[in-house]
Amino acid sequence: MQKLVVVALNSLLTAGLYATMSYGLAVIYGVMRIINLAHAGLMMLAAYATWALNDRFSLDPFLSMVIVAPAFFLIGMGLYATVIRWLPRSSAGPSMQSLLLLFGVWLVLQNLAYAIWGGDTQSILTPYTMESVPFLGGRFGVPQILVFVASILSLVGLNLVLRRTFLGKAIRAVTQNRDAAMLSGVNAGQIAAVAFGIGTAFAAMGGSMLSTLYAFTPDFGRSFLLKSFCIIVLGGMESFTGVAVGALVLAFIENFASAYTSIPVSFQDAISFTLLVVVLVAAPGGLPGLWRMLDRRVVAR
Amino acid sequence: MGLLRRHPALVPGLLFSAALLVAPALAERGTLNDLWNMAFFVVLAAAWNLLGGFAGQVSLGYSAFVGIGAYTTVLLANAGWSPWLTLPVGAALAAAFSVVVGLPTFRLRGPYFTIATIGVGEAVRVIASGLEFTGGSSGVRMPPGTFDFNSNYYAMVGLALFTLGLVAWLQQHAFGLALEAIRQDIDGAEALGVNSTEVKLQAHAISSALVALAGGLFATNFQYISPGSVFDFRLSLTIVLMPIVGGMGTLTGPVLGAMLFSYLQIKLLASPALRDSYLFIYGGLLIVVMLFEPKGIMGLWERLWSKLPRRRTTAIAEARRAS
Repeated sequence: MQKLVVVALNSLLTAGLYATMSYGLAVIYGVMRIINLAHAGLMMLAAYATWALNDRFSLDPFLSMVIVAPAFFLIGMGLYATVIRWLPRSSAGPSMQSLLLLFGVWLVLQNLAYAIWGGDTQSILTPYTMESVPFLGGRFGVPQILVFVASILSLVGLNLVLRRTFLGKAIRAVTQNRDAAMLSGVNAGQIAAVAFGIGTAFAAMGGSMLSTLYAFTPDFGRSFLLKSFCIIVLGGMESFTGVAVGALVLAFIENFASAYTSIPVSFQDAISFTLLVVVLVAAPGGLPGLWRMLDRRVVAR
Repeated sequence: MGLLRRHPALVPGLLFSAALLVAPALAERGTLNDLWNMAFFVVLAAAWNLLGGFAGQVSLGYSAFVGIGAYTTVLLANAGWSPWLTLPVGAALAAAFSVVVGLPTFRLRGPYFTIATIGVGEAVRVIASGLEFTGGSSGVRMPPGTFDFNSNYYAMVGLALFTLGLVAWLQQHAFGLALEAIRQDIDGAEALGVNSTEVKLQAHAISSALVALAGGLFATNFQYISPGSVFDFRLSLTIVLMPIVGGMGTLTGPVLGAMLFSYLQIKLLASPALRDSYLFIYGGLLIVVMLFEPKGIMGLWERLWSKLPRRRTTAIAEARRAS
C-alpha cells in the first residue's frame, strides 16, 4: 500500500514535467496542424542554454528559465518567420512536407549544438541535485519536486493567458475553427507566429527542466519527443486538459511498469513507443475520442 | 524501339551497369570500395522508394531492416553457416518483421505513420542493444575467413541492378499503379477496389527484404557490426534523404540521390571539418528541398525541361493561343 502511494506520487511528479514539454507540441499542432519534429532539438538546445548559464554565471537552472523561455519565444517567432511561414497550408491535417521540413530544422539544431558545445555528455550539478525529502514513507528528489512546481506554475500561467486575454482567446479560436476565426477579424498568420513562439518557449521550459534531471548530448530529446507525441495523441491532439490527462496516463503507466513488472530499465523507453503505436492504432481520437465512443454506446443502449 | 521510348534512361543505365560490372578488372581497390558503397546506397534508396516514394508511406525506421539482415548473417555465420546461405534467411526474417510492424502501423496515415516508425526504429535499437545474443552495444564480429571483396562487390552491384529492375517492373504493372493510387488518394484507391493495407504490406515486405539482403552483404564486407552501425538513426536518415533529394516516386531519383550521398560520404570521411557539419548538410538539404522543390532533383529537372523552348505541334500551339 505504501509502495503504491509512493509510486503514484512519483508518477504525479513526472506528469507535471511531461505536461509542460508536451504542451508546446499541442499548441503548435492546434493552431497550425503541424507536427513539430524540431521540438526535440529545441528541448536539447534549451538544456544546453540552461547548462551554459549555470556554467558561466552559476545561475540556478530554475531561475534561468526566466531568461531561457522568453529567448526561445523569440527564437520560435524567428523560425516561423524564416522557414515555417513558407509552407503551403493544408487544412486536412499535417502534411508530409511540413513534417520533413521540421525534421530538417531538428538536424540543423543538433549540428549547431555539436558545433558550439561538442558531443560530450553534459549535466547540471546544483547543491540540491542529490538532496531528497522524506514524505509518506518515500523519498522524493528535490529537483523532481522543483520541476513539478515549475511546471504547474507554467501551466497555470498559460491557462490564464488562454482563458483571459484576447490573444489566448484568438489562439483557441484558430485552433477550433480557423476560417471562422479569420471571419471574426483574427489575424491567423500573426496568431500562428505567436503560437509557434509559445510552443517553442514551452519546449524550452521542458528542456530546462529535463537538464536538471538527466545528462544530455546534442542527440538528446528523441525519446522525449516521442513521449510528448504519445501524450498529445492520448489527449486528443489539441485540448489543454487532454494534454494534462495524457501526461498523467503515460507517467502512471511508466512508473507502475518499472515498479511492479520486471521490465529491464534499458527497455523502459520502449513502453512509451509501444503505447504510442497502440494508441494511434486503437484510439486515434485519444482518450476524448474513446470517451465519446463509449458515451455513444451507452446512450444508444 | 518502343521499349527505348518508354524508358529513355535505359541506354545510359545499361552502359553504367556494364561499367560497374567490368570495374574490378580496371579500377583500384579504393575506387571499388566507393562503388560498393554507392551500390549499397542504391539498394537502400530504391527499395525504400517502393513504399515511401510510390505509395507515399514515409518510414523513418528502415535501419531496423538493415540491422536484421546484418545480424542474421553474422549470427548464423558464427554458427557455421556459409554467409551466402544466411542472406535469404535474413531477407525472410526482415519481411516477416515488416509484416508484424506493418499490420498495426499501416492503419495510420501520413505523418502519423511516419512518427510511429520513429518509435519502432528506436524500440528495435534499444532492444538490440539490451539483448544478450546480439552482443549488446559492443557488437559482434564475423568468423574469420568469410571475407572476399570481389564476390561481395559483384553481389552488391548485382543486387542494386536487380532492385532497380524489380522496381521498374513493378512500376509497369497493376501493383505499381495500386501504390501510386494509394499515394494520390487512399480513399479513392479503396473505392476502386485496391486493398490498400494488403498492397502496402506487400510493398513493405519486398522493400525490407531487399534492404536486409544489402544489410547481410554489409556485414560480410565490414566483418563487424554493432547497434551503433546498423541500427543507427543516421542510417535511417540517409535512407530517407536519398530518395527525397533525388525525387520520390521516380525510378531515377533514388539512384541520383544515392550517387550524391555516396559522393558526400566520401567527402565527409575525407575532411574532419565537413564530418562535423554533416547534419547541417543533411538538414539544410531537407529544408531546401521541402521549401522549394518537394519532388527533388527530378522535379527540378522536369521544371527546367518544360521551360526549354521547343517546337510544339500545331495542335498544341493553337490550343495555347485559344486559351
